[in-house]
Amino acid sequence: MTPRDTAATGVGASLPRLDAREKVTGRAQYIADMVRPDMLHAAIHASPLAHARIRGYDTRAAEAVPGVACVLTGGDFPDGRMGAFIKDEPAIAQGKVRYPGEPVAVVAAEDEETARRAAALIRVEYEDLPVAATPEDAMAPDAPLIHEGLADYFKVFPAICGGNVASETELSEGDVDGAWAECDVIVEGEFETPAQAHLSIEPVGALAEVDAEGRVTLWSANQSVFRVQANVCEALQLPMSKLRCLTPKVGAGFGNKMEPHVQPLVVQLALKTGRPVRLILNRTEDFETVRARHPFKIRCRTGAKKDGTLVARELSAVLDCGAYGDDSPGVLGYSLLMSRGPYRIPHCRASGKLVYTNRMRFGAFRGFGNPQVTFATESQIDEIADRLGMDPLDLRLKNRMEPGDRWFGGGEVASNGLVECIEKAKAASGWEQGRALPAPPGKRRALGVAACAHISGLLATGAIVRLLEDGSVVLNTGAVDIGQGSDTVLTQMCASALRVPADRVAIASPDTDGSPYNWGTTASRVTYTTGRSVVAAADKVAEQIKRHASEIFECAVEDLELRDGGRVGIKGVPDKELSFFEVSGRAHWAAGGPIVGTDTWVYNRPSVDPKRAVAKGLPFPQIGVYSFGCMIAAVEIDETTGKADVAEVWSAMDVGKAINPGSVEGQIEGGFVQGMGFALTEEMVFDGPRLVNPSMMDYKAPTSLDAPFGIHSIIVEAAEPGGPFGAKGIGEIGLVPVPAAIANAVATAAGTRLRRLPLTPERVLDTMLEDGDED
Amino acid sequence: MEFVRPDSIEAAVAALQAEGAACLAGGATLVAMMNADLVAPERLVSLRDVAALREASRRPDGTVVIGAMRRHRETAEETDLRDGQRVLREAAAQIANPPVRNMGTIGGSCAFADPAADYPPALVAADARFALAGAEGRRTVPAGDFFRDWYETALEPGELIESVILPPAPAGTVGSYTKLARVAGDFAIASVALALGMDGGACTHLAVAVGACGPVPARRRDIEAELLGGPLGNAEIGRLTDALAEAFDPVDDVRASAGYRRRVAPRMVRQAIGEAMQKLGETQ
Amino acid sequence: MTGEPVTLPVTLRVNGAERPVAAVAPWTTLLTVLRDELGLTGAKRGCNQGVCGACTVMIDGEPVRSCLSLALNCTGRDIVTVEGLAPAGALAPVQQALAEGNAVQCGFCTPGILISAHALLRRNAPLSVDEVRAGLSGNLCRCSGYKKIVEAIVRASEARP
Repeated sequence: MTPRDTAATGVGASLPRLDAREKVTGRAQYIADMVRPDMLHAAIHASPLAHARIRGYDTRAAEAVPGVACVLTGGDFPDGRMGAFIKDEPAIAQGKVRYPGEPVAVVAAEDEETARRAAALIRVEYEDLPVAATPEDAMAPDAPLIHEGLADYFKVFPAICGGNVASETELSEGDVDGAWAECDVIVEGEFETPAQAHLSIEPVGALAEVDAEGRVTLWSANQSVFRVQANVCEALQLPMSKLRCLTPKVGAGFGNKMEPHVQPLVVQLALKTGRPVRLILNRTEDFETVRARHPFKIRCRTGAKKDGTLVARELSAVLDCGAYGDDSPGVLGYSLLMSRGPYRIPHCRASGKLVYTNRMRFGAFRGFGNPQVTFATESQIDEIADRLGMDPLDLRLKNRMEPGDRWFGGGEVASNGLVECIEKAKAASGWEQGRALPAPPGKRRALGVAACAHISGLLATGAIVRLLEDGSVVLNTGAVDIGQGSDTVLTQMCASALRVPADRVAIASPDTDGSPYNWGTTASRVTYTTGRSVVAAADKVAEQIKRHASEIFECAVEDLELRDGGRVGIKGVPDKELSFFEVSGRAHWAAGGPIVGTDTWVYNRPSVDPKRAVAKGLPFPQIGVYSFGCMIAAVEIDETTGKADVAEVWSAMDVGKAINPGSVEGQIEGGFVQGMGFALTEEMVFDGPRLVNPSMMDYKAPTSLDAPFGIHSIIVEAAEPGGPFGAKGIGEIGLVPVPAAIANAVATAAGTRLRRLPLTPERVLDTMLEDGDED
Repeated sequence: MEFVRPDSIEAAVAALQAEGAACLAGGATLVAMMNADLVAPERLVSLRDVAALREASRRPDGTVVIGAMRRHRETAEETDLRDGQRVLREAAAQIANPPVRNMGTIGGSCAFADPAADYPPALVAADARFALAGAEGRRTVPAGDFFRDWYETALEPGELIESVILPPAPAGTVGSYTKLARVAGDFAIASVALALGMDGGACTHLAVAVGACGPVPARRRDIEAELLGGPLGNAEIGRLTDALAEAFDPVDDVRASAGYRRRVAPRMVRQAIGEAMQKLGETQ
Repeated sequence: MTGEPVTLPVTLRVNGAERPVAAVAPWTTLLTVLRDELGLTGAKRGCNQGVCGACTVMIDGEPVRSCLSLALNCTGRDIVTVEGLAPAGALAPVQQALAEGNAVQCGFCTPGILISAHALLRRNAPLSVDEVRAGLSGNLCRCSGYKKIVEAIVRASEARP
């Protein structure tokens, strides 16, 4: 299964996942599969109310249940607060509850059934508070304050906040107000997107264990052991040295497992009981208490000249933050940064408000606000094309960013594969034959397009590459493989950098004790940022290998080269070479010491140039490098019911360099189907503050029969200077254009445009009936 | 909670007489509800070992009797269901997904009586009867009377479904089941169960039941009877859909609004009749 | 649950072995027994409602939901989990196909997918894409978009002698 030569396993090979065998045999251990000796099982007692003061707890009945070891409520927790941007969230409700489903008490017992039964017996006395269920409610003059202490919370960026507004951000370039007069055509509209559930098939969970010295080891479903460590330590006011975070296999993360869920609860239970404690949420709890994609309301206005030159755009967004800040300020800021799209539009202003409500917290979800704004902006590109009678692809090409152009805000763009993405998607989809496709009786078919861009981000990363005594390699990055395949990809990069077969490189499981810092598996960042560290650390190992060889051969380091199979030799002299075994043996036992290469860095290219743009309240000074994409979807609408299905899709994505093409395709295909769910069927429905459909019975993601088989991944490689082997990320961008591409196809097929997701049969049929082209 | 597994209908009925007893058929509904803490029967009467409930048979006159424990997959593949009776095969084939069709039973599904489930309209359109067994003896109830209200049936406490009986469908009729759902295998937003016969442009057999548009399947036998013997053109179908619409009593839920159900169901009926007439045209 | 649970000892035949379990409550599902009593954690609990398919196992040769199967109702049945698809150290062809076809991402749905695929592959004929799509429609995957899984199973069906 694993070929032994470097070329077949290194960069560019579709190497099977390193853990595929473990996963197909059922042996892979996820958090719910982990058991520790003498382990207790925990359950939460969740708030039934959206907003209420806690007057008291009665835990006696729960404590009396045989097998219950411990019941904790707010007073049993330190009053630390966590939060990626605004430190507003306690480990467990303190003094009041802010959303239905918020953990109010937690129970540990000998088995899960007992813990759940006991948790249900806890009585909490509440005093109802007025509820703000929506951003509109929460911004009303008489709205109840959800966070009385907002002004005093610690914030990691200069947040503009007040009342229930957690963060306000604005970014502008040019003279937007003056530019409308130059426009021959202006389109304007309101767009609305719903909350989407991540729906990792694995519900979240955590397991904590305390040693005799009081030091805690914590395993959990997560996207970053380091964020888990930081959040738990902030909430529980522990020194980070007292908490070690590890990871089992993760049953997928789409942003839902990046920031904390139940980790602080199990740590506190473990500290109080002295025993290992495991807590696994059931599906309903996972729906109600983890996080989801932000509902957006977007006003967007775009203007162009008669010849199609885009002139101005103004976009304003209101985001439902939910009860706690979580990643939300970042989502707002990032969505605004993406609101100009991959185009030249000289006059742009984007602004937004993030508003606390008494709903579950919303947070990071694959795309991080970009799919929502791209739905609005790419819908408007099509609207302008229609108004001007232009081909929507021509309009996009006409206004595309050129090499050297800066991103909205002024960030430098080093690589840009947009044109190739557009042209390849266009050719493969048969776009030239026209957007309206032939369809069987009772159906309508059309193509729709959307272009997009995304970043491969940001923040801090490291890698440690060690040469073992026998010349094989251990790579340690701290990046959690959440199923997307980063362990395999990083291993391939390390193998190629050292010219050894991939099976000679072991990858260490992330460990806050032993791994270099890694901000997390998020923001499409691991391939780019961690890959860069892996290559840099491997290069340092290569330098040391060459130094040893130069001492042995008594030649200059510059005259040496690495050769396939883990060898170092003198350039042009084939038989003058040493194996890594010989070099590492010398280093371990005779001279120089064991060979270790390390690298750490933090992404530091500014995303805003104050000479070009004005930014207020933007949480991301340094966001990442840019990648581009173009998607064309063929959509079929049933005229009887209005149901829209995707028949086929062409997704051309610029990844810089495909380290593992099979895995890149997997990200494009999976991103498409998750985006298709967002566009067509998925919606978390709220009745006031309460989620109405927190179950897989009622919340519907696409099945294998709903997803088209014809998902055509087109890999475009516009090498990113500084990227490892030229690579950029691919984790999110494949989802970003999906709602817009589908909506544009639906608009062509239905004859009218929908600006609200999901595009349900009901909405599509109603728009067709209103349009009056009835049979 | 106790668990019993009788091996005859008589023993099962006897076991069911206890307070809080409930039948466990395939488990697809009951166990899901138990897992969600929505129900906790005091006694589970597993029908697994009652061999008689697992049989299906066709009588010489074409009547088909389907045991309550027949699973959806078996019913979907039931070659004894012919002509218009095939409406039931098509409905069974569209329930949920393969593993659930391997577990779920016609008796279990009907006893739960979810108005958005697939069997109720199919059985109403097929003029099926339910054979029930209880402490007082056996009785049969027409499907149209069996489904009474939201999640409510004619089953009395201590009674179980023994079988579902489909009368013969006239030779040459077709049966079809059309479902609109958000994703494959979901419960219906709306569904149409149909049995239709045509002879030389005249309607010889017509049964249309609409699912998920009210507490029970909607059917208008009165209008169907009036349309027999004549052509089925736009006007006639319009009469039927108008009448059906009067029988709808849909609600808003996460799948769709009541208003949409009212708008889409008549369109689906029209579509289903059109497709069935085409099918008849091809076979005639 | 009301009252004292009436638990019963049962013996289940799992992956060809008779596996006694000392005390099973009436409401205990096969999934719970497999995972918590028998240490067979391959079948996963994704929703506990029969929707996600991660718990799919074979009973008497047919894929079913172990989360909707009460353990007491499974005596005398032949139960096969993902751990039983191939002898230790070996891979069944469908396992091999998924592993090599980049058809495994997070892996949480994989055991259920493999059981459904195994049942499809018992029909000894090459499978069409649409047959596989229909056969997997009860196994949600949130990572892959299904394409590579379907391709791998079709390939496995074509590769059979």
